[in-house]
Amino acid sequence: MKPKEIKKLIELVEDSNINQLEVSRWGKKVRIMKTPDNPGMSSSSSEVMTVATPQPAPQPAPAPTMPAPTQVEAKPAAESLPTNIAEINSPMVGTFYRSPAPDADPYVQVGDIVTPGQVLCIIEAMKLMNEIESEEKGRIVEILIDNTQPVEYNQALFKIEKL
Amino acid sequence: MFKKILIANRGEIALRIIRACKELGVATVAVYSEADTESLHVRFADEVVKIGPGPSAQSYLNIPQIISAAEITNAEAIHPGYGFLAENPQFAEICESCNIKFIGPSSDMIANLGDKAFAKEKMKQAGMPTIPGSQGIIKDIQEAELLAEKVGYPVILKATAGGGGRGMRIVREKEELAKAFNTASSEAEVAFNNPDLYMEKYFEQPRHIEVQVLGDQYGNVIALGERECSIQRKHQKLIEESPSPAVSERIRKKMIDAAVKGAKKSNYESAGTIEFLLDEDGKFYFMEMNTRIQVEHPVTEVVFSMDLLKLQIRLAAGDKLDSVIKGYKLRGHAIECRINAEDPAKNFRPSPGKIEIFHIPGGPGVRVDTHAYDQYVIPPFYDSLIAKVITFGMNREEAIIRMQRALEEFVIEGIKTTIPFHQKVLKDKDFIDGNFNTKFLEHKANLF
Repeated sequence: MKPKEIKKLIELVEDSNINQLEVSRWGKKVRIMKTPDNPGMSSSSSEVMTVATPQPAPQPAPAPTMPAPTQVEAKPAAESLPTNIAEINSPMVGTFYRSPAPDADPYVQVGDIVTPGQVLCIIEAMKLMNEIESEEKGRIVEILIDNTQPVEYNQALFKIEKL
Repeated sequence: MFKKILIANRGEIALRIIRACKELGVATVAVYSEADTESLHVRFADEVVKIGPGPSAQSYLNIPQIISAAEITNAEAIHPGYGFLAENPQFAEICESCNIKFIGPSSDMIANLGDKAFAKEKMKQAGMPTIPGSQGIIKDIQEAELLAEKVGYPVILKATAGGGGRGMRIVREKEELAKAFNTASSEAEVAFNNPDLYMEKYFEQPRHIEVQVLGDQYGNVIALGERECSIQRKHQKLIEESPSPAVSERIRKKMIDAAVKGAKKSNYESAGTIEFLLDEDGKFYFMEMNTRIQVEHPVTEVVFSMDLLKLQIRLAAGDKLDSVIKGYKLRGHAIECRINAEDPAKNFRPSPGKIEIFHIPGGPGVRVDTHAYDQYVIPPFYDSLIAKVITFGMNREEAIIRMQRALEEFVIEGIKTTIPFHQKVLKDKDFIDGNFNTKFLEHKANLF
């Protein structure tokens, strides 16, 4: 396409209501788009006119709308935590246990003060019991998972108030 | 039939497996890394379990996390897809010991057939032609010379501990052999700490033809035609088709018989592919066997009107071959182009990032297998395959014209893709004439 022709097309677009113009000839394409005066507003109707070789205007494929699959555990809506509250997340996929054995006392309760290295819970994976230790000193504010509930990687287990 | 299957993979193959499961009424569990949170296979599965951060070693290759995910969701079987853990015998063994059905052959079979020397020997016993060469290491130059005379020049000397093209020498004439032997040996010593070499007949311009096999748990095996996979770049397949324009009815029958015999001899179970080298004289030789479903399975599906994933799952569930396949006949021609997120103008440099516009082609005889969509962000951790375009025609000519049309309609913006590269190949005279081999892209590098 010659520069003169392209210039003419640009003038065409400028002087009209057209927002986008795509021209294709002999396998070469030119697309001219008008910059909106108000970048904050998106034009509700952008007409794409094709000249010379009629081609269907490429439509963006609609984003698939599917029912949300069942997450292993419904994630709580993202909330911004106050700066002194941290979440302790699971490093692995497995089953969460609050006590070392079915009839034993839980490792921690809400309100307990924990120290670095203290065992908070067990995540069972592939028949192995993994002790999950606290990395901080703090007070257990909330226990987010029920006993024997399955958890996935990085899932929040406890909320702890840093001390 | 299984009630629930866990898919230990991602991307387009994970979606493909989910589709087969849906049609079989089987519930699906998708495992995913943090980088794949917005992935389509995660959206379409019934249950999802996050198993790790982006890098594959910590997620899709993390066996404990995957097995754990199967346990907490009570999945009865795991489909490994291709790549990742699909041909990992340890993973298959762990599944077996955890009472989870690994959808594929047994761990022993994977280990054995994955050993090239073992596989070659096994196939040889089944009467399959194998690449002539040495039986193990060559002691010295004298032995090399005798063997080369027997096998016939050209030959290739390869380091037994080697790879990556090092410790390899092609020898075209007797006079070059001694020098080549010494150079290859020293190179191998330096690179791999092992100077030992073996020898194989060298094929200048072979074609890569592979045969799809299916086996049930009762010793029955069938072969579903062949696929032509010679259009490769750095040993990566880019375009595949079925049937092969280079294979006559006579050769086809021989290859298929050989493949079925070889698979039966190994008691092969599940879907698998036997790869052959076809030389310029129409002779074929066993190269290796892949014990998994392959990327290019759609071209076979299309010409045989079959669903290989559903078949694979049914066979894993214990169905007999003749109950799931009632009769089959190859019809028409299919071609597949692998669209990668790479920039062909910059030596196929990977081009991850956000897809701004995504419009897939449609119309008669066009199939697109993809996990990408409009506004999808391609993560940088995994391979660059974003879509497979498969076209079907009543003959090869129609399949080619359809592919040309489909590639024109396929709009992907925001990242660079290999669509322009495929368009050039599909217009190349030699390609259209069916006149090509594994050196095709190498010889035409400057054109593409």
